[in-house]
This record gives sequence, structure tokens and C-alpha cells, in this order.
Amino acid sequence: MNDYLIPVLLIVLAPIIGGLVYGFERVVKARMQRRIGPPLLQPFYDFLKLADKRKMIVHSAHAFLGIMHFVSLWFALGVLLLGGDLILVIFLHLLSTALIILAGYSTRSVFSHLGANRTAISVLAYEPVLIIIAVSIFMITGTFETGAVYLWDEPLLYKMPLAFVALLLILPIKLKKSPFDVAEAHQEVTGGVELEFSGLFYEAVYTAKWLDYVFCYTLVFLFAGSNILLGIGLIVFTFFYLNALDNSSARVNYKQMLRFSLGVAFSLAFINLLINILS
Amino acid sequence: MKLASYRKKSPWILHYNAGGCNGCDIEILACLGPKYDIERFGMINTGNPKQSDILLVTGPVTKRSRERLVEIYAQMPEPKVVISCGACASTGGVFRGMYNCEGGIDQYIPVDVYVCGCGTRPEQIIDGVVQALGILEKKTKELEESVRLKKEAVNEGKQLNRRNIADEIKPLLS
Repeated sequence: MNDYLIPVLLIVLAPIIGGLVYGFERVVKARMQRRIGPPLLQPFYDFLKLADKRKMIVHSAHAFLGIMHFVSLWFALGVLLLGGDLILVIFLHLLSTALIILAGYSTRSVFSHLGANRTAISVLAYEPVLIIIAVSIFMITGTFETGAVYLWDEPLLYKMPLAFVALLLILPIKLKKSPFDVAEAHQEVTGGVELEFSGLFYEAVYTAKWLDYVFCYTLVFLFAGSNILLGIGLIVFTFFYLNALDNSSARVNYKQMLRFSLGVAFSLAFINLLINILS
Repeated sequence: MKLASYRKKSPWILHYNAGGCNGCDIEILACLGPKYDIERFGMINTGNPKQSDILLVTGPVTKRSRERLVEIYAQMPEPKVVISCGACASTGGVFRGMYNCEGGIDQYIPVDVYVCGCGTRPEQIIDGVVQALGILEKKTKELEESVRLKKEAVNEGKQLNRRNIADEIKPLLS
């Protein structure tokens, strides 16, 4: 009973936690640029405002795919927090991204197509690295179950530091942060796949972004094993690292992103896997 | 309605340049910078008409850009507010009477707030946006209200235009 209490609470409150993380991130980002920044609860104000706007639907399948993106992402997060199979979690996350890519292709807007193309490319960039990291975790713990990883005595970070570095390198792609935000690229393609959503249906996509934060920080937390203090430290470090990187770097194009992620991050994760197998 | 007060806290701005000289656009970008920082009111400069509340237009409407201006306006979901930013957008400015443009954006779309100045100052833009927020809140109430109910039912012979009724009862509402 008690084992399930914290994960279930986290799953139910995930959108709220994600919203707070996003709000805090906007404040931190503004302070890094010497601005005052929006209030902490700003994402929730946006949420309530969007609920009130008139809905404009391109076609019903498009709106449905947007909502299913949110639902499947929440489901993936639930499986991850309840201690499910890590490979399953990664593929459920891939499924949710595939749904939003389909939504992007289903409209006739050029920007939406471009955004869907770029999202597909960024999936190609981060997915292999995540799989390799999952296999490395399997090599150390002997199981893909995240429930066992949460209870693992020795933090995985000490056994597989290179995999953690690889994860840090692909997190900006996953969260659409600055050097690798070609998929979203607000100044170029005005949001990419989320372009055609409006009102209540944009809200699903907007809230899915908050869930993505919780998902990614949980992946970071996996590296601490049962050491909760270390896990919180890693999350805080990752948070400031991501924001500093977002503020201090310019966008690269998709070829550079693909080359960097498959060249540097993938080989780091692979070397880490080889070391884990050999030792 | 409770939600209306939240609308004031997160206005998302769509900025469109209808053929101006870029002076006002630079001032709008200055609003986003560290000195004026309009993000502290929750404003974001989105590039997407389908998710924005306030349309900020600069420049006189050239004959090339007028179709796009009307299209962008049509793509914004209700409630929406239009701010014409600068002398050109309000009246045509120095371009008034030229062969390639027409005097101001209010010939094509309804404008709620006019901001003056050739090169509007960032303070003026912020003031204009804050005024627009009040209008945004009021607009929702008008949307929810049925105008036709204020008037007696008419015979089939003399049907009235909805806009005529709205003009007639506007003094009654305020």
C-alpha cells in the first residue's frame, strides 16, 4: 500500500508539478537575462485563459490526436513511475510523439508539416541513445524494471557516468531547448506541430509539455538508484544546466543536431555500454 | 465569469508588420528586453494567430500585405483585440496618399486601441496593451450577451440587421 502511495500521488499531480517546474523555469530564465520574469503560476493562468478561448478545429482527427498525445504521454509517465519496463516506457513515449507527428502531417499547413518532419528527425536523434542507456541499465541491474532500479543500492551514476553525460546531451532535444530546438523553433516555424491547435485542444499539447518535464527529470532520477538526496541533487543540477544552455546557445540546424547526437552522444552511450559489458 | 480575470493575466501577442519601416517593430522588441520586460505581465510574443489574443499591427497597409492582414485577423479565435501601433498603422502616417498603400489598418479590420507616435515609445506600447486588456475583458461579456433579446420581436416585413440593433442599444448597456 505505502509503496504505491508516492508514485500514484506523483502521477495524479504530474501536470501540476510539471506546470510549477515550467513556471519556475520561466522565472529562472528571466533572471538569467536580468529580467523580472512572469509570476510563478503563469502557466496556470495561461491554462485557464486557453480553456476560455473559442475553439477552432482543423478537423476532428487532428484535435483527437492532440488529446491522445497528452493521454499517452501521461500513461507512459505512469508506467515509468509505477516501476514498469523501461523499454516499454521508452516506446510508449515514442508512441505519444508519433501521435503528435501524425497530427502535424494531418493538416495542410506547411509549417505544421515542417514541424512534423523536424520532430521525426529529433526522435531519430534521441531515441537510439535512450535505448542504449536502457540496455546499460539492464547490464548493471539485470532487469529492465524501473521499480528495481529505484531500489538499487549503489547509485547507477558511479557505474555509468558516460551514459549520464549522453543523457544530458540529448535532454535538450527531448525538451526542445535551445541548441537543439529545431522541432519547435518559434521564430522559424512558429511552434511546428502545435501550430494548428487552438483553444482547449492546444491546452492538451501545452500541458503535455509540462508532463515531458516530469518524464525527463524522472529519467534523470533513475541514475541515483535508492539515494534520494543524490537524485534531487541530479535533478537540480540538470535543471540549471538546461536553462543555462538554453539561454547561452543559438539554434543549430537539424543536420548538425543529428550529427552531434548520433556522433557524440550515441558513441558516449555505446562506450559506456561496452565498459559495462566488459567489467 | 471567473475565467475572464485570468485572461488579463496572460495575453499572448501576435505581431504583424503590414509594410512599415521597422521603427515600431524595434520598439516592440525593446518591450520584450530586460529594460521594459513585458513578460512580467505574462505576455508572450507568439508567432501564431491561432493561439494569440492581441494583434499588434505596425505600418500602413500596403496593397501586398492587406490580404494577409485580414487573413491573420480571421484566424485569431475570439476574444481578440487589435492594437494599431504607430502613426502609420493608425492613419497612414507619412505614407498616406501614396500609390501603394492606404490610410491605416482600420479600413480593413476593426481596431480597438490606437497608439500614436512615429516610432512609438515602449512606454506607450505598454500603456496601449494595458488598455487593450480592459477591452479584452469587456469583449467577452459582449460575446456572451444576446443582443436580440434586448429588443422586441419584429415582424417579418421589417427585419433588422444585428449591427443596427447593437448600435442602438450600446448607450443602454454602458
